[in-house]
Amino acid sequence: MHGDNQELDYKKLGFRCGLEIHQQLEGSKLFCNCPTLNSAEKADYGAMRKLRAVVGETGKIDIAAAHEMGKGRTFLYESHSSDTCLVEYDEEPPFPLDREALGAGLRVALLLNAKIVDEIHVMRKIVIDGSNVTGFQRTALIALDGWIETSEGRVGIPLICLEEEAAQKLGEGEGKARYKLDRLGIPLLEIATSASIRSAEHAKEVASRIGMVLRSVEGVRRGLGTIRQDVNISIEKGARTEIKGFQELRSIPKVIEFEVRRQQHLISEGKKLSKEVRKAEPDFTTSFLRPLPGAARLYPETDVLPVKVSKEQIRHIRENLPKLRDERIKELMEGYKLPHDVAKEAAEDGRFEAMAGRFRNIPPQLVAQTLFTTPKELKSRLNLDPSKLSEGDYEEVFGYLDQGKIAKDAVIELLARKIRGEKIDVSRFAGISDEELEGEIRKIVAEKPGLSAGGYMGLVMAKFRGKAEGKKVMEILRKLMGD
Amino acid sequence: MKPQAGDKVRVKSSDGEYEGILMPRPEIFEKGFLVLKLENGYNIGIDEKKVSKVDVLEQYGKPEQGHRERKHDPSLPTISILSFGGTISSKVDYRTGGTYADYTAEDFVQMMPELESVANLRARKVMGIMSEDMSPEEWEAMAKAIHAELNEKEVAGVVVTQGTDTLHFSTAAISFALRNLSKPVVFTAAQRSIDRGSSDAFMNLLCAVHAAKGGIVEVMTCMHGSLDDDSCLLIRGTKVRKMHTSRRDAFRPINELPLARVFPDGKIEVLNQNHRKRSSGAVSVSGQFSRDVGLLYAYPGMDPDILDFFLEKKYGGVVIAATALGHLPVTNERNSLIPKLKKLRDGGIPVFITTQTVYGRVHPYVYTNLRKLSIGAGCTFCEDMLPEVAYIKLCWILAQHKDVEKVRELMPTNIAGEITTRSDVESFLY
Repeated sequence: MHGDNQELDYKKLGFRCGLEIHQQLEGSKLFCNCPTLNSAEKADYGAMRKLRAVVGETGKIDIAAAHEMGKGRTFLYESHSSDTCLVEYDEEPPFPLDREALGAGLRVALLLNAKIVDEIHVMRKIVIDGSNVTGFQRTALIALDGWIETSEGRVGIPLICLEEEAAQKLGEGEGKARYKLDRLGIPLLEIATSASIRSAEHAKEVASRIGMVLRSVEGVRRGLGTIRQDVNISIEKGARTEIKGFQELRSIPKVIEFEVRRQQHLISEGKKLSKEVRKAEPDFTTSFLRPLPGAARLYPETDVLPVKVSKEQIRHIRENLPKLRDERIKELMEGYKLPHDVAKEAAEDGRFEAMAGRFRNIPPQLVAQTLFTTPKELKSRLNLDPSKLSEGDYEEVFGYLDQGKIAKDAVIELLARKIRGEKIDVSRFAGISDEELEGEIRKIVAEKPGLSAGGYMGLVMAKFRGKAEGKKVMEILRKLMGD
Repeated sequence: MKPQAGDKVRVKSSDGEYEGILMPRPEIFEKGFLVLKLENGYNIGIDEKKVSKVDVLEQYGKPEQGHRERKHDPSLPTISILSFGGTISSKVDYRTGGTYADYTAEDFVQMMPELESVANLRARKVMGIMSEDMSPEEWEAMAKAIHAELNEKEVAGVVVTQGTDTLHFSTAAISFALRNLSKPVVFTAAQRSIDRGSSDAFMNLLCAVHAAKGGIVEVMTCMHGSLDDDSCLLIRGTKVRKMHTSRRDAFRPINELPLARVFPDGKIEVLNQNHRKRSSGAVSVSGQFSRDVGLLYAYPGMDPDILDFFLEKKYGGVVIAATALGHLPVTNERNSLIPKLKKLRDGGIPVFITTQTVYGRVHPYVYTNLRKLSIGAGCTFCEDMLPEVAYIKLCWILAQHKDVEKVRELMPTNIAGEITTRSDVESFLY
């Protein structure tokens, strides 16, 4: 059924599509003081729980909740004490909404041109698949009516919410599910677009544009698993489907296309489609998760006081908004003559500008290369772990470079020694003058006559690695051999 | 038309227009905000200064409570559930902010349909009160209500629900008030409100109904034994204490093993043989409690004049939660309590010593300073009785006896399992 290669005419199909982007924030968890860094520690505590569908504030049991309760499942939770406390276990009331996370959320909201609500109210969203120990997810609407500019016009961002991340599912068995609680409660910013996305490719553009805004703000977590995209799709005569769990932008167009074709196929067979939540699979297809929850799902979190956001606070945040990442990249490319891909990394890493400003005798490109490219080489070429390098290690090496005590080719060797914990004798890496180098090369050639340029190159570099640049050596060799 | 909480409204503010349901705002919150529940279910607060107009689109209509008929199964015993308020029965109407459930049997069955296959239920809400607001008056009403249910022929056992904070005061009160108990009286409650899927109320209530059908005839609590939803502990009403502010396993047995473990499927595993069995006699009640009893928490450096209050008010007696074995400041002239304690003794106000370590037994003689209190100042040491239980017991004794010597004699005498004769090794931090 996914075989048709005919291009889809989205407009004719009555295609409606909106995105929900979930971005984790840094600092402490949203309603307790546990860290947001997931520890890799083995679980040292656990509890077994049951969940029950409860009557929501409309007096009705939510259909998504009833669906889960029908499964009558047992949930096994496990945790490590370094990242989980009584709050995650639903054994202690929540602490007040974390101000740091709220600050990051408000910065993002303003960058997305949204209106901050005057007073933020935390709600409970009923979730009884076990991913929230309480049976609900705490969530608050913090801003309304934002927008972003795209190649196909403005796309609205009607809702920006700050909510708790769910627990991570470890496994599932007969009537049972296992979860780890390290992730539960990490602040999550949910950004929902309007259903005005025009096509599968447009969806990717919107997602990447919002992603760029998120990466512009301090307090936003980076790395795999810290951002997820959900897509809501429907076509005429179809039904709204929410597809969860995109980790990568590039898969968005494919998954949307497949989903549209799936709905088309079912409609052509005369089947009636129902609202549902589907999971994005690695092969771009989707699978059924649960029926889409209704409005009966939200009720007030009475344990957390509402948070007033004053005009003065908003003005203060607005005056201190970071530059958008795209603008920063452009500045770095122009100001430091960095290539685009290096500027991208420098834009996200405050160390570059700090170091380039401190060590002015080093060309900025070399600073960037040392910070962003050398670590990758250390790993791929020398099989060393660059994360063992401290800021101080880099500063030390930059110091030698800045004072002309070492040649630039010595940088990788010095950093490698730092990782291995070896002693560093800088004098061994001192640069050698061109005349000295030429003299030494002449000696080597005289000692072993008749070799090829490559042969001499190997001998010279073995002796002067880190002191002389390969390029210079080759230059001298060519000159001598040409004699 | 003035908009009321629950109405569907359109709010015009300088930021734009919003449609939603107007929500009530607790009085204690900062004034100046309208709370609106938007179509998407989220609540937001809108600064009233920005609001130019509020139109009512639809007036609030009270939701109808769907009640269904209960079936009576003659093969099942009848259990009576009496509710006295607290988290387990607080259900808020989020549209208006008011509480609305009366906790009839239908409410409990609606909350937990499986109860219907465990027992025939008869249920009544006696009062709706948060447990911190309870007082001797409530314990008297409670004793009366439970006593009446116990003597109903069809009732096999009684389940009592109330708030957790002072649950152990209530269980102690009822333990003393009911005499010749022939059926179980099981107190249960919730540490998490019942509007959340994870509430402990569900398993606690289910296990309590099982326990009320069972063969252990005591006044006891039935609450989570651990953080797992797998079983509850039955703990004697005079040997139980809330030991944590919020955990669902907060209720722990003190100085005695729990009576039993109850599982949601009805299995009861007996852990302590020291309990009564079912019998057929009528239960009697002696349910009055004195209002003139003090409970004082001692601390180093306390001002002895604090005791003047009890003298001036002519209290019937005072329980002191002393340190460890029963010590109070006695040596330093400046803050020794001895002179005031002697005044209390001479004024006919008996003083009873318990311990703030909670666990363990007080001792009147092992140290000189203890003897100064017991032999010297006439304080009565109350063995391994909890301070809260001693307070309740004193309220109960004073309602019946005016003779100070009789009161002094009864306090350290076991009446309702509040004093053990042997200190169990395994019961510490159970």
